[in-house]
Parts: sequence; structure tokens; C-alpha cells
Amino acid sequence: MSDSPIPAPAQTAWTCPFCPLLCDDITLEHTGDARLAATNTACPRLAQSLARYSAQDGARQPTIDGRNTGLASALSRAGEILSRARRPLFGGLATDVAGARALYELAALSGAVLDHLHGDALAAATLALQDRGALFTTLSEVRSRADLIVVFACEPSRRYPRFYERVQTAQRQTDIVFVACDVDEAAGAHAHSMLASADPFDTLALWSALIAGREPETQSAHELQALTERIHAAHYTAFIYEPTALPGPHAALAIEAIHRIVKSVNRTVRAGALALTGDDGALSVNQAVTWLSGFPLRTRVAYGLPLDHDPHRYGTHALLDRQEIDALVWISSFGPEPIPAALADDVPAIVLGHPATALDARNAPTVFIPVATPGVDSEAHLFRVDTSVVAPLTAARDAGLPTVASIARELARAWRAT
Amino acid sequence: MSLARLKGGVIYDPANGVDGEQRDIYIRDGRIVDQANGESVAPERDFDASGMVVMAGGIDLHSHIGGGKTNLSRLLLPEDHRNDARAVPDKPDEGRYMRMPSCGTCAPGTLATGYRYAEMGYTAAFEPAMIASNARHTHLEMGDTPIIDHGAYVMMGNDELFLQMLAAQEDFERVRDYVGWTVNASKALGVKVVNPGGISAFKFNQRSLDIDEAHVHYGITPRDVLRTLTRALTELRVPHPLHVHASNLGVPGNIASTIATMDAAEGLPIHLTHIQFHSYGTGGARKFSSGARAIADAVNARPNVTIDVGQIIFGQTVTASGDTMMQFRNAPLARPRKWILGDIECDGGCGVLPFRYREQSFVNALQWIIGLEIFLLVDDPWRVSMTTDHPNGGPFTSYPHLIRLLMDKSFRDEQLDTLHADARTASALGEITREFSLYDIAIITRAGPARLLGLADRGHLGAGAAADIAVYRDDENRERMFTSPAYVFKDGELIAKDGTLLKTPTGGIHYVQPDYDRAIEKRVRDFTEANLAGKFENVAIDDDEICACCNGGSLLPVACLAAGGNE
Repeated sequence: MSDSPIPAPAQTAWTCPFCPLLCDDITLEHTGDARLAATNTACPRLAQSLARYSAQDGARQPTIDGRNTGLASALSRAGEILSRARRPLFGGLATDVAGARALYELAALSGAVLDHLHGDALAAATLALQDRGALFTTLSEVRSRADLIVVFACEPSRRYPRFYERVQTAQRQTDIVFVACDVDEAAGAHAHSMLASADPFDTLALWSALIAGREPETQSAHELQALTERIHAAHYTAFIYEPTALPGPHAALAIEAIHRIVKSVNRTVRAGALALTGDDGALSVNQAVTWLSGFPLRTRVAYGLPLDHDPHRYGTHALLDRQEIDALVWISSFGPEPIPAALADDVPAIVLGHPATALDARNAPTVFIPVATPGVDSEAHLFRVDTSVVAPLTAARDAGLPTVASIARELARAWRAT
Repeated sequence: MSLARLKGGVIYDPANGVDGEQRDIYIRDGRIVDQANGESVAPERDFDASGMVVMAGGIDLHSHIGGGKTNLSRLLLPEDHRNDARAVPDKPDEGRYMRMPSCGTCAPGTLATGYRYAEMGYTAAFEPAMIASNARHTHLEMGDTPIIDHGAYVMMGNDELFLQMLAAQEDFERVRDYVGWTVNASKALGVKVVNPGGISAFKFNQRSLDIDEAHVHYGITPRDVLRTLTRALTELRVPHPLHVHASNLGVPGNIASTIATMDAAEGLPIHLTHIQFHSYGTGGARKFSSGARAIADAVNARPNVTIDVGQIIFGQTVTASGDTMMQFRNAPLARPRKWILGDIECDGGCGVLPFRYREQSFVNALQWIIGLEIFLLVDDPWRVSMTTDHPNGGPFTSYPHLIRLLMDKSFRDEQLDTLHADARTASALGEITREFSLYDIAIITRAGPARLLGLADRGHLGAGAAADIAVYRDDENRERMFTSPAYVFKDGELIAKDGTLLKTPTGGIHYVQPDYDRAIEKRVRDFTEANLAGKFENVAIDDDEICACCNGGSLLPVACLAAGGNE
């Protein structure tokens, strides 16, 4: 064999699957110890996510009750657990479109409830949409059109470190006003904050009153009035909020208020809202389940029964707290997300997880199958944060891990064969 | 695959001039063949169609079945899904695992969409409003729409790059190449323009845009957009003419701009979609009247023009449109009172409004009348396709009802009698005696749309055609007859029998691949890098990826028109 080094693959930009911004400009290199590293960005979320992969990932074996086993026996045991369950929950659901498609059929066979790791944030957004609708905008619209950005009660760079890079260009100056929060330090020079310590709900109520033509005589009202005037003078205003950063349990009401304000503003000028949400495949799975079934997540799906959508009752924690499920299928392919602590120790679990997943010993039957990360170990389709663009992702390595979709298809095939 | 025979049916195959002749049809390897060639037919592949009506599978050339705004419609209307009487099919012969769970009436899930089209004898449906930046999503949804073949028209004419090129008066050839690039990159079958320039103008806070009015930012007019796009598609030899959702949707008096839109094509092929919404006059005490006669006369006089109707059907539905400008105007009419609007990727937009068409509303009653008048007053059925603009005028599951309205004058009159009295008196519908024949129906629901889309081997029953076939039990009640065919074949396989599904194969995707000068890619790349949030390299969808999007369905590239003729 020749001693010459393996030629480096042509440098093509790689798309990062670890947050819904899906940044597609990343140069990825394989380091000496067979790890992955991004060389052209300092995004901490990406660095942290990549640090969880190692050369040993491909050697990680499936386990049954903590003991190593082969894929075939793990699948067979998982099939047994599912076939005995009367009311399983497919939770986590951190996967891509292909995973969602395949899991949908398996859920229909086993009569499962579907909820996501970020189901609470998703449900708040869904409820607000179902009640009143929305007026939304997308990343490229913000980037090319917005001359004013209003960030409401959140710190975008905390979870989405490259947010400002994605929506701003050096060619244009965009002013950013933070309302009901401090200035995000990553936001750059043209940012200031107002009503930083105000309650988000009070602020939205006051702002709604102003927009509706009332004239509350408070200092806060004057400040909001001045902001509204700025919005009316701008060409296009983008409202940014994070469903997870809004105070629970009634974040849906805040989301509804934001969109109501944006809709009202649009009677005379143009503006749109952009929610920063959809981590860990939340948007991808929610979209796919919605188009397949008609209903979004937090739906029970079973052959021969009506689809049953209930955003309150079918939340993971509500189901676990009330001990309403008799098996958990936990899907976590972007990171080693632990199974929920509230899961009773006597409920069987099937974990389709990141290869770095650590599982505590449990009393109930527990199967673990290490799976491919979409966009690291396999090609994938994921919905971007604005839900308008589906990004095509490519694999960064070949660790030989099976995809969630292939595991789900195999379990469905075995189910149909019995 | 062995030979199959469909025995003794009465054939309606307008593409081959066959009007109700009794003859056998032979099928081999998914195709219709001339004769048995001495080969015997296995008993289980020999189907008795004696006395039944045989047509090619239905083709819906304008139905919002996939993509962002369709999924937003589903998200917006959980009540539409909870109220779906057919959520659990009561079909004991199907077996428990035939239909995956899926529901909805006006915004059904993709699975329910495929099942319901197929059980009605439809074998293809086309998404008319794919936003290029949302193309993957659209194809993913259509890939999850079982049984039927599909395809999409990509929206252009509101994307900033097109408008910038037009405003800068760049060479026509470059604009044409950009159209070709976009069609290829998005795996589209055609190009649609929605409110030409108006979606973009709304982003610049312009609230209306008539056909010769200037876009507030770019200075170009809708007429410029139409002229350029029709010429581009003609030069690219794309079979389907420019698919136009004209300016001023829903505005009383819009007949003038609708006819001006026809003329903006300057004699080149142009298809005006859901023309019912663009056929309103300003006569009468309410300043809202039927413009159907004027529109039908205009269509009859212009052989380059084809239309589909966008018939409204009374009841609850949802309107999902790329026309943000008009949807925002109509937002106060949303029932229930909730709506979604979005500005999308310097490319397009969408507006989703639930809507309830009521018999006792003067306007809705007249809309219903206008749609039927247009069907009945346009002379050449080859230039009219049957649509409800699903779901905007009503769900596609209303087609059997609509067929009965067209074929049965007394049934039509009964329905007319239930409508708002003033709308009835303002209408000429009662005096129109025309009834569509089965041959006419076969034209407007399959042969015509297939020809208009360039699908050479679909929409007819001649040798070599794909064996997509619907066989109906003759019934004077045409609604019942067209609701559940005795047999439906898809690519030669029997997939439904009397409304019972037997198989759910994956449908294929129809798309065109026009030739263009690839030098245009640099222009698109520069624009993308300067303005958009994603990279140019990730825009185009290649063959492998479209296969994955479409769940492994067949790739069905449609040939471009031969040089020297545009049909």
C-alpha cells in the first residue's frame, strides 16, 4: 500500500444540524483523533455538539437492559416491548423528516401518542396559531428588507449564537430594539433596550391597548408609543421572539398578542414576526406529522381509530405524571438527551439515541440502539427556523450507524409480518 | 406483468376521438396495448366492464395539495379535522392496515388526499403554487400523497431577482435562462405567476396593483411580467403555458384586468386559472355582477387562452393563496376569524383564510353562478379544465357534485332555486340549457388537462398510454356515479374497487427540464449571496434528492415541445 496521505476531500460547505438556523457555510475538518471540528466559525453550540462525537461511535453497540447485544436482538426485543404496549408514547422525536415519516407508520401500528422534546414550546405556538393565526416573515426577508428589528423578551444568541450573522449584512444598517429584556451583547452597535425589566405580559397588554387606539398615561406607554412611531416610519419591521423564553404556562397568550400587534401594524406599514424555535427537529417532525395526518404533534395515531389531537393532555410530562403510558420510545438523534426523569421505573423504554447516550440502570425492560445523527452520519432534510425552507443536509462521516428511519421501518416491517 | 383485459366497457376517450364506443381494453406492463397478440388473459386479470363507462384516470391540474401554505391550512384548522366524518373509513373489506390514519375535509392530510383522489378515479393532481424556496417541502408533501402522480408549477414574477432583472432591462435571454434555471432547480412542471408583481409590491407596502400600474419600487407593471414570462416559457418550449392567477382577485369590476391579462400574452399561450374569481362586474344595485359572458366571449375569441374555473362549492373551506396583497385585504372576511399571512424569502408569500361560502350570501351565490356560467358559455371544452381551486373554492371531493351540476340541467335549477333571491334574478344561468355530455366531462377532467400539461401518455386510452383508468357504473345520478368508480387502475394495477382501496402504490412526479444557458447561474449565485440567508449550492434539487423527497416514486420527465411549433 502506498504511504501517501489520503487526499483531503474537496472543501464544500457543510450544513449544521444542531440548531434550526441550519447554517450552511461551515467548513468541517476531521481532526487527528478522528473527531470533527468546524474551522470557520466559533459557534459554541456547534463546538459543543461536535465534541460529543468520537471515533468509537461506530463501535457503540445496542444494549438490552444495559448489556451489549447485536442490532437484530435489540430490534426483536424492542418489537416485543412495542407489541405488548397498549398506550405507548413516542417522545423526544429529535429526528429528521425521514425519521418522522417512518415513525408515523410505526406509531399508527402501535397506537402511539406523538410528542416532541420541545413539545411545550411547540404546543404554545400551535395553540396561538389555531386560535388566531399569524403574520410571519423569514430569514431572507429580515436580512434583505428589515430596517428595524424588535426583539421581544429574549436573548437570541443564547440558543442561536449566529442569529445576527444570519439576518444582518454589512451593506445595510439595521437598528435593533430589545423590548422587555436587556440588549443581547451579540447584537452589535445599533442596539438598545427599553422596558428591560417589565413583565412581558404587561408590556404586551399595554402595547395592544395603544395599537387599539387607547391612550394609557404611563411612562411605559409613552416609550411603547415612541417605538410604535418608529415602526410606522420604518420600511419593514421584524419582530423576533422565542416561544421557550416566554413565561409559561400561558406562553400561547403572549404569542397571540405579538401576532395581534404585528397584524394591526400591517394595516398601514409592513412588518412580520419570526419565532426562534424548532430545535432538535421539532419543526421538521411537527410539519411532517401535520401533513401526513392533518394534526400537529400531541396526537394519538392508531390504525382504525380517529386521530386524537390534544395539546394539553398529550404533553410528555402530563402523560408521565399521570402514568398514562405503558411504554416509551425515546428518540434523540442530535444529542444524548436523557430519558425524562418522570418516567416510572417500571415502564419499558426503547431509546433510539445519540451514540454518546448514557443510560442509568432501570427495572423495566430497556433497549438502547445507537443511531445516526441527521447531517452528521446521514443525509437529511430539516426545516429551518422560519419553517419556509427545508435544508438538504449531507453526512460528515461514515460511522456505520443506522438511521432512525431505518430502525422504525424495520420495526414496522416486523410488526406487519406477525 | 401478465396481460389484463377490461371487457365490454363503453369508452370515452376524447384524445383519440372515441365517443362512447363499446370495446375491450388490454393492459400489459402498466400500459395500454392494442390487442392480446394471441396471449390469454388470466381470469383474475379479466375485468367485466359491460355497460360501464370507461375513461382515463382523472387529472386535476390545479389543486393545492402540498407545501407551506397547505400545511399552514391544516395547522390553522384542527376543527376541520375533528369534524371529518370520514376520519375513520368504514370499509371492512379494506383490512385494517390499508389506509394510514389521516383526516380533514377542506385541508386533508396528504395520505387522505391521495386515498380520496384515487377512490374517485383521479390518478394525478398538480400543486399550482410552489414557492421555489419552499420546493423541497412541496415535493416532500406530494411524495407522501399516495397513489396519484403529481407535479408542481413554480411561482415566478414576484421573486426579487426576476423583478430586478426586469427593472434593469437586462437582456431577455438572461431572464429566460433564469426562468429555465428556476424550473430545473425546483423540479417543476411549469411556471405560475400570482398577482404579477403584486406579492412583491405588498412587501413594499403597496396595497393594490392593476395590470398597467407601476410596482412602487421596481417601476415595472404586471403586463411587463406577463409578457416576459409567456415569452420565456414559449422559447424554453415548456408545454404548459404560463399559469396565471391574475391581478385583482375578487375585486368587483376585475373583468377588465382579466381580459387585459389575456392580451398581455400577445398571442402566446397563456392559462388563466380559477378565472371565476376574476370574472366580476360592477352592475346592479350592489355593484357586484356576473362578468361570465364577457369573460367567455373573450376566451372564445382568443385561441391562445386556456382556463380553469375555480368553481365555488357551498360550505366551509379554507383559502390558501400566494396572493398576500389580496388575502390581507380579505382578512376581515375570514370565518372563523383567524388567518395567516407570510412574506417568504424575497421570493413569494402566502395567505391562509378560512372561509364559508353560503347560499344565502348574495356575493357567494353569484360566485357559484358565475363559475357555472363560465363552464357553460365557453364553447371549446378543450380550453376549460374542471377545478374548484381546491381548497379555495371548495374541496376536490366536490367534483362528483360539480359534474352533476354540469350534466344535469334540472339538478342545476333545483340548486339555483335555493340561492339568495337577488343573485338568482341577476343571473342568466337559468336560461342556459347546455348539459355536458360524458365526452365533454372526459375532456375537462382528463384529456384536456393532460394535453395542456404535455403529458403525452396520460389522459387517454390509446395504445402506449399509461394504464391509468377509471371505470364507472352508469347511473343517472352523475354525482353518485363519479363518487366511487367500479374499478380504478393506476399504471395497470387495480387499486380501487367500488370505493374500496386495494393497494396504495407510490405515485410518480412529472416535471420538465428545459434547456437554458448555464451562464445564468453566476447571476443567481451573486444575488443569493448578496441577499438571501442560504447558500446558492443548496438551492437546486437533483434527481437523487427528488427521489428521496418523493418516497422513491417514479421520475416522469415530460418532454419539452419540439422545435418549430408550439402546439
